[in-house]
Amino acid sequence: MFLNSWSLGLTLAGLIILVLGVFACRTAIRVLRHWNPSSDTNLQITLENEIWLASTLVAYGLGFQILTLVLFVLAADTFCQVIVGAMCATGALLANNFGMPALLVKIAGVFLYGFWIVLHKLDISSETYPLVKIKYIYLLLILPLLFADITLQTLYIAFLSPDIITSCCAVVFGSSAETGRNLIVGFSQTGLLFLYYGSIIVLAAVGIILLKRWLLPLAVVFSAGWLWFLGVATVAIISVFSSYIYAMPYHNCPFCILKPEYHYIGFALYFTLIPAAFFGLSTALVEPFKNRVDLAGQVTKYQRTAIKISLIFLLLLAAISSYHYLLYKISGGES
Amino acid sequence: MLIELKDTTKIYNQGKPNEVTALSDVSLRIEEQTMICLQGASGSGKSTLLAIMGCVFPPTSGSAAIAGKQLSRMPDRFLTIHRRETIGFIFQQFNLLPRLSVLDNITLPLLPLGISPPERKARARKLMEHLSISHRESFPAGQISGGEMQRVAIARALINNQPIILADEPTAHLDSRLSMEFMQIMADLKKEGKTIIIASHDTLVSEHPAIDKIINIKDGRIHVP
Amino acid sequence: MAMIPKGLEKQLNTLDFALSSLWRRKLKNLGIMMVFSLVIFLLGSFQMLTGALTSSADAVLENTPEITIQKMSAGRQEAIPQTYIKKLNSIYGIRAIIPRVWGYYFDESTLANFTVLALDHNAMPNGSKLNLTLSDGHFPKKTETGTAVLGGSVQDILELGDRRVFSLFRPDLSLKSFQVVGIFSKQTDLLTNDLIVMNVDDARDLFAIPTSHVTDLCVYVANPTEIETIAKKIAGLLPDTRVLTKSQIQKTYQVVFSWRSGFASICLLTALVAFAILAWDKASGLSPEEKREIGILKILGWETGDILAVRFWESTLVSALAFIIGCTAAYIHVAFFDASLLKPVMVGWSVIHPPFKLLPTVTLADLLLIFTFSVLPYLGATVIPAWRCSTVPPDSAIR
Ligand SMILES: Nc1ncnc2c1ncn2[C@@H]1O[C@H](COP(=O)(O)OP(=O)(O)OP(=O)(O)O)[C@@H](O)[C@H]1O
Ligand SMILES: [Mg+2]
Repeated sequence: MFLNSWSLGLTLAGLIILVLGVFACRTAIRVLRHWNPSSDTNLQITLENEIWLASTLVAYGLGFQILTLVLFVLAADTFCQVIVGAMCATGALLANNFGMPALLVKIAGVFLYGFWIVLHKLDISSETYPLVKIKYIYLLLILPLLFADITLQTLYIAFLSPDIITSCCAVVFGSSAETGRNLIVGFSQTGLLFLYYGSIIVLAAVGIILLKRWLLPLAVVFSAGWLWFLGVATVAIISVFSSYIYAMPYHNCPFCILKPEYHYIGFALYFTLIPAAFFGLSTALVEPFKNRVDLAGQVTKYQRTAIKISLIFLLLLAAISSYHYLLYKISGGES
Repeated sequence: MLIELKDTTKIYNQGKPNEVTALSDVSLRIEEQTMICLQGASGSGKSTLLAIMGCVFPPTSGSAAIAGKQLSRMPDRFLTIHRRETIGFIFQQFNLLPRLSVLDNITLPLLPLGISPPERKARARKLMEHLSISHRESFPAGQISGGEMQRVAIARALINNQPIILADEPTAHLDSRLSMEFMQIMADLKKEGKTIIIASHDTLVSEHPAIDKIINIKDGRIHVP
Repeated sequence: MAMIPKGLEKQLNTLDFALSSLWRRKLKNLGIMMVFSLVIFLLGSFQMLTGALTSSADAVLENTPEITIQKMSAGRQEAIPQTYIKKLNSIYGIRAIIPRVWGYYFDESTLANFTVLALDHNAMPNGSKLNLTLSDGHFPKKTETGTAVLGGSVQDILELGDRRVFSLFRPDLSLKSFQVVGIFSKQTDLLTNDLIVMNVDDARDLFAIPTSHVTDLCVYVANPTEIETIAKKIAGLLPDTRVLTKSQIQKTYQVVFSWRSGFASICLLTALVAFAILAWDKASGLSPEEKREIGILKILGWETGDILAVRFWESTLVSALAFIIGCTAAYIHVAFFDASLLKPVMVGWSVIHPPFKLLPTVTLADLLLIFTFSVLPYLGATVIPAWRCSTVPPDSAIR
């Protein structure tokens, strides 16, 4: 299914990201080999300039990656028209073994590139560029992921054929257990909601305490909590909130909420959840860099900002996700 | 001590066939609120010395401390940050952006500092009034007279209230009346607490009463006659 | 003012400067933007055209039965006896089988082609909903002979005005008159513009089809997953028929669209590559004046990153503006000019249906796709040139 504008668009975007990544890695290798802050040779000056190039490339790469992530889901949503049995992106993504892995790798990419940029910002805030080596080793480690990303995506498209019969979201995520493949079993709705809102309250509380007083173990709890919440929120969106958005008790799907019929509310949900989780997670992840020369101040500053941002997004997420739910409850069920 | 150079050497294109030693083992100390004149033949290294004092590039060897910071081994980014906080430049060709208005030219150094437009305008207006160029505020900088350009350049060098002002041949394109006027402005600035270093072989500059010291440079070395 | 953080204010300042910088090089930037808008316009028209065609195909398909049976003889379609329905009684899973007459009527006086459709709509699973598509009146009842429901343009072509009676010619040129009992509403023009719906008996009479014969049989199936098996069984029981499933028809459309759109995408991609090369070239060719400007900015305390930010804003502004212009023009092109520039490429799309108004529905997905094909390569192509020019050393300003 390459001869299709979506496939071509995805491939084009993937290739552009890959080229950006390869150029960035070229700089990474040069920096790792020749970086010598005590020298004032032309090479060192060139490298200092190339650091800007690498960071710009990764920043663009991150932007493009977010875009392709959305594009990928939307493409799957159009592919479903040609795939028997698929009614939305879920079915199209499950049409072969590469769809879901490709999606997950893309999401992981957003987190990893984002974290690289955080690292970069911290690094260039100090005159000694203390993280320069770590930063570029990390960049080189991302490269295989880039290749994996485009490979999985290409395989997904290549093996996508109209003859495959797949399941639609109603079967995969539905609570009627009639057709086997039920991804989310064993979660009762109230239990899940309890977990969801409980986690929100705990995260908010921990965040506020951390802003008042920095306690390392608590920070670790905070970041780990975000990882946990990322999972809980995803499950909650799929199995509880989505059906209230659709106003259909048995329609549970993580992708249909992205459609214009539902006012693109899915984008609002995911674009608050993902950044919130990103900043929340990174809070503890940058902790090890505190004991680098003159980085402690910057790291602390970043952590405070990150906590604040994650809390703001958390608040937004809570509001947006509850909106339809409350609306449904207040208007008294069917409406 | 505001500026302290010790055995400062600058070699252009080091290790290449076109290697030039523009400065060798220059040591000097400049105190606050002084006005210095750098003299020397063409190609003697005046501009290079100004560039080092102005944190444009670090010395190849030796040390250079400007306003409390060692320049050697400082990455480019931090040189820039230090430069914009401490140094105001006035160039020979004024180096204005000809198609930008006078006001926009003056406020150029403030943009990367994240200063809001109203405050930028307020600061620039105050300086323009002080230098009596207010009536040219929205003229493109390429369409004003040489004397006005000079004042715009001065205003731009003062806009961030930097303690040091470096001027490279500022009077080269001015007639003697305008040159005297320029020196008068500099003398006033010195009174306000600025440190001013002017590279020039204009006698109007070197013989001005406000000049505290004349430094002679010859072939990249300080020459004591 | 006090509330805006420094970092944001800095970005606003660079944006401000980028705007003025673009303005100072009006001619060059306008040129790039025009070429860019043109590329986006082509891409956009194309995407919206396929979108509109697909949605009209979908609309056609929505009312298509899951399985259609046609009798074949000597490789050509001929009337199918209604008695065939009985032969299919043994197949389990069929919800309903409805005989249908579907044909075209050529009106010689006006040279117009009408689509004639006749079936018992009450027997259709969603039949009752169909009444909603009428602006007034009702569908012909089974017993009501000599009545018809017309689409908008049929009414116009026959110049009916307020009259409720019209006549059509039988193959032997005798006249058959009809009473208009309903008019289709404007919203369904896409499908019903040229449509005349009548009773099955009247249609037989009009086309001189033998009694108890129809043109095809529509089979409705309860469980979508059983369509294929049921179709196979029907083909086994009725060897002299052609059995078409909805998904086969759908696939035919999709394949035609996919192939055409893929092919055209590749053509457009070539244009795009040419454009990216142009962008690269324009972005990397630093004039001495620009170089001097960057040198001055850097010595005045602009970091490499600040110059990069200016360049980023410049390309973003240019591409955003080009994107808006291109997409708007494309929409106008498709919606008001029927995509007349692209029609030659898409020749054959009229297979779907006789001419109708193209109504592009622009979704976020379409825009994103156009964005990916245009802005993404442009931004990608300008990163490295932008970086190149941001590394002009500050001392170039004092030489
Ligand atoms: N970027 C450069 N690359 C190589 N050589 C340079 C560079 N800039 C200056 N030089 C050389 O360094 C020496 C000192 O130059 P500098 O510009 O400092 O002299 P100057 O005293 O300012 O001269 P003038 O009065 O003509 O402006 C000269 O020989 C010059 O050719
Ligand atoms: Mg000079």
